[in-house]
Amino acid sequence: MDYRIIDVKEQVLEENDRIAAETRAALARSGAYLVNLMGSPGAGKTSVLLRLLALLGREYRVGVLEADVDSDVDAAAVAAAGAKVVQLHTGGLCHMDAAMTRQGLDALGAELLDLVILENVGNLVCPAEFDVGADLRMMILSVPEGDDKPLKYPLMFQVSDVMLVNKIDAAPVFDFDFEAAKARALALNPNIAIFPISAKTGEGFEALAAYLRERLASDKHVWGGAHDAPSQPNSQENGPSKASAPTTDRGCGN
Amino acid sequence: MITITLNETVTASNDRDAEVLRSRLRAAGCLLVNVMSSAGSGKTTLLSRLIRDLGELRIGVMEADIESDVDARRIEALGARAIQVHTSGMCHMDAGMTAAAIEALDALPAPIPPLLAGEGDRRTSGGGGVVPHSEALAAGVVPHSEAVAAGVVPCDLIFLENVGNLICPAEYDTGAGLNLMLLSVPEGDDKPLKYPLMFQKSDALVITKIDALPFFDFDLTKCIERAHRLNPTIQIFPVSAKTGEGMPALERWLSEQLNDWRPRP
Repeated sequence: MDYRIIDVKEQVLEENDRIAAETRAALARSGAYLVNLMGSPGAGKTSVLLRLLALLGREYRVGVLEADVDSDVDAAAVAAAGAKVVQLHTGGLCHMDAAMTRQGLDALGAELLDLVILENVGNLVCPAEFDVGADLRMMILSVPEGDDKPLKYPLMFQVSDVMLVNKIDAAPVFDFDFEAAKARALALNPNIAIFPISAKTGEGFEALAAYLRERLASDKHVWGGAHDAPSQPNSQENGPSKASAPTTDRGCGN
Repeated sequence: MITITLNETVTASNDRDAEVLRSRLRAAGCLLVNVMSSAGSGKTTLLSRLIRDLGELRIGVMEADIESDVDARRIEALGARAIQVHTSGMCHMDAGMTAAAIEALDALPAPIPPLLAGEGDRRTSGGGGVVPHSEALAAGVVPHSEAVAAGVVPCDLIFLENVGNLICPAEYDTGAGLNLMLLSVPEGDDKPLKYPLMFQKSDALVITKIDALPFFDFDLTKCIERAHRLNPTIQIFPVSAKTGEGMPALERWLSEQLNDWRPRP
């Protein structure tokens, strides 16, 4: 019984990896750069996203995929900021997989975009296991969560390219040792880029935006980009559209 | 498609295991409290406070984590009976894993003053082959079916600190008599809208880190309203485990729940 469950999980992950690779290839052809933004509930994913839209929205054609178990409060906020956004309801599922992401990208019309940010389901565990086909994995750890989280959720730190330490404005209120968190993350993943930020005050976002511009320029050889910027894609008529993600698997495939 | 079928099978057999475990614990007069929340909401800090304040009870703690034993060490340092459960990557605890963990807790040599005379001997009757103290119990070491049916439990109250995750643990009945969830102020008052199942499945909502209210845009009234809309009978306790504010009400409620849980003589 146990062996069978593990087999199925492996099959699910293999199938997922295949679709993710296809997605990555398709995105490379069209020139869109996909960022998978992950973090616990309340770490500040939507607030970070809104800041990034404000900084990068004029240079790039940006689209957003909002994944949520339920509700569309985040998509409404992003649409109000003027971005093209698709809300994905995972129907109880605790992470996005490659097939669901592909559906979202199709609904969004990713082939006409430079940058797509997927706001994954609020969860520090399961999204780390599923490659969605992203070019960059960015995770958020917020100060109130504690500096011990790399010890407890190592996979998320191992698979991420970028770690954002958010809510640093609240550092005086909490016993959060930034250097300890940094050392723990680097011990798990020596290549992880770390940015202390505050989505509330805007601190640290210039450095993050510069890093993302660099990654877009070096990782993607696209016709678009910062210099021959295409027409401004963000307009108020882009309300949230909805796509229901297929729920082939509930409870993380375990 | 295979996965849907398999998962339904897993859930159904989990529900059966959970019922067996719940009746066994009730017969033993032991209340299992499943403590759930996102990572970093303050589960371990809250439990540390409860262990200190409820010192007259025999308390056991099972710390479920994907990896590491930082939490079990903190709890052990307080002198409570504690074991660490490693879920090996799993994002939640199920009934079989919980039963296996209780068996390991049962087998601990640590002396716990018995509440009723004669009960102290029982703890030697627990199953063998499990790893005591902070050494990890790998999930699945004890066959689930055996663990579910196993013997008595020498604790009045067992806290299961579930994996830090606001989604998956809500889907799996662990066999607990009480489901208690935490939402911390920094996470935001909109969380009932976004993770409704957890609020629907919980008997109590503990809003933690209220000492940080002045620093965050957290509307306590709105949060309570949203939780009640999803679950009209949920008990809500705003607390700060750091300052102790709100803790007496929660502790009173837990004691009442324990009294109601115990079989009538």
